[in-house]
Amino acid sequence: MTAIEARALDAAAEHGASVRRPFAWLFAAIVIFLCLVPFLFVIVISFGEKIEGAAWRWAFDATNYRRFFVGADWPATISFLYLQKMWYSLYFAVIAAIVAVLVAFPFAYLITRQSRQAQTLWLIFLLSSLALSEVFIVMGWDILLSNRSGLPMVLRETGVTDWLKAEGYFDTLRAWGLANPRDVRFKTSDFATILTMTYLVFPYAVILLYPGLSRIDPSMVEAARTMGAGPLAVVRTVVLPLVAAPLFGTVLLLFVYLLGVYVAITVFADPAKQTLAVSVYDSVRGATLDAPFGSAQAVILLLTAGGFLGASLWLKQVAERPA
Amino acid sequence: MTGRVVGRGFLGMCALFVLAPIVVVCAAALNGGRTMDFPPTDVTLVRFVEFFVTEEVWVRALTNSVVIAVASALLAVLIAWPIAYALWRRDSPAAKALAALAALPFALPPIVLGVGLGFQWGFLGALGSIWSAVLSHAALFAALPLVTVSIGLQSIDRAHLDAAATMGATDGVIFRTIVLPQTLPYTASGFFFALVLSFNEFIVMFFVSSSAYATVTLQIFNSLRNGFTPTMAVGAITFIVVSVVAFSLVARFGDLPRLMGADPARSS
Repeated sequence: MTAIEARALDAAAEHGASVRRPFAWLFAAIVIFLCLVPFLFVIVISFGEKIEGAAWRWAFDATNYRRFFVGADWPATISFLYLQKMWYSLYFAVIAAIVAVLVAFPFAYLITRQSRQAQTLWLIFLLSSLALSEVFIVMGWDILLSNRSGLPMVLRETGVTDWLKAEGYFDTLRAWGLANPRDVRFKTSDFATILTMTYLVFPYAVILLYPGLSRIDPSMVEAARTMGAGPLAVVRTVVLPLVAAPLFGTVLLLFVYLLGVYVAITVFADPAKQTLAVSVYDSVRGATLDAPFGSAQAVILLLTAGGFLGASLWLKQVAERPA
Repeated sequence: MTGRVVGRGFLGMCALFVLAPIVVVCAAALNGGRTMDFPPTDVTLVRFVEFFVTEEVWVRALTNSVVIAVASALLAVLIAWPIAYALWRRDSPAAKALAALAALPFALPPIVLGVGLGFQWGFLGALGSIWSAVLSHAALFAALPLVTVSIGLQSIDRAHLDAAATMGATDGVIFRTIVLPQTLPYTASGFFFALVLSFNEFIVMFFVSSSAYATVTLQIFNSLRNGFTPTMAVGAITFIVVSVVAFSLVARFGDLPRLMGADPARSS
């Protein structure tokens, strides 16, 4: 770290005046303290050891990681419980990220074709919904999907539920876990989880795709149109090739973001399909109070997220390299 | 022309999708009873009085939220400015390293940062104090002003700087008369982004507060177990209003499409 700090000093001490050097040092130290040290704590404590009675002590062994991959009693018994949680983290995040981008791509494209003023209004709208806390969004969808006053009630009152029963589709819904014996239900289901997660990242998706799409030269689109290409052909042959890399990069970024979703999973996902983020929370602050094991899970979440993030940065660099 | 109609229809559908849960939450705040009915029954505004005035739990939570959001956004700007400035002036490896560090907390899953900060403040005996929450959110959101201020600095016309330098202005004078005024809208934008996101943040605050105090989002999450109440929905409305006002201010004083990465050349 000394080399980095020394260079940070050079950069931050703007005019090279020796008076400013201590400030530059101090500043670099503050940034490191706030932005790097917390992660180091998690990594170090993940090798620690739990003591009965909700405490832990420093140690250096890989017990917590072994427990994550093969279970606490290995090699006597083997358990993939936490790998399964990991799998559900990836599963929900991948689907929601892809769905969000599939909807956001045409949406962002249509916005960029509008006037600057209209674009600004759309952006205010999206940013406001983007900033809205996960807690509120889950609250909103919880009402919308609740049996009492949500979609199941609407379907029941309008007779759709009866129609579904009469036509035999109801059994299909039950097989998909979207109905109880009497009614359509969405809590808890994969559908509700993915819907809410898609909703959470949809504004992010639009905003990430916006720069690339807004930089497409309109004359290229017009040229293609005058040569007889239909709007869809234009999108397929002109727009898509230009934004293919950002499109994939966006999926990756949303995916990383969704790995950390907590509230939506606890409320909408089946108890058997809880994710790693929930498990971290339970270990560190919940019933088990096992900080080292919680940290080990957090490290694995961190490595997964970091890996995909690195991949998306690499992809961005490749895309921006002049051909 | 059918393409246009389909396009409009699609935009409308998406807008409806984004609006649906928000509208439902807002409407639920009007319920007279204690349940979250939609459409609301026995419409009343009593819940607003409860949230802002009479119910101490909510008033205290709101105060905490506001204090943490404003202070941490200010601090985030103070952390971001020197880094953005160093990047702009020199683009040295050290400046790049600091910028990467400042972006780290925002880029990685917030739950990991929350756990780590929980340990860190625990060791320093600062767990559960408001100022540690302010520092935590400043770390989490410094990336936002870092991005907006960098965009602002890049938008300064180098010719202005050269002209000032030829006329004998010192770096300090140039900074005060050209750099600072021209980047002010971008600094303000970064501030508002950090403010709004801090206001809405939940998971880091959960670990850092250690249940010693509550912000509005924490209070709502704690109340989740007892089911939703219309008073919580008033909280949601407050948040939406704050967001819309803050982003409208950003759009009014700055160039929102530009901030979001639109091509600056096409400003039709």
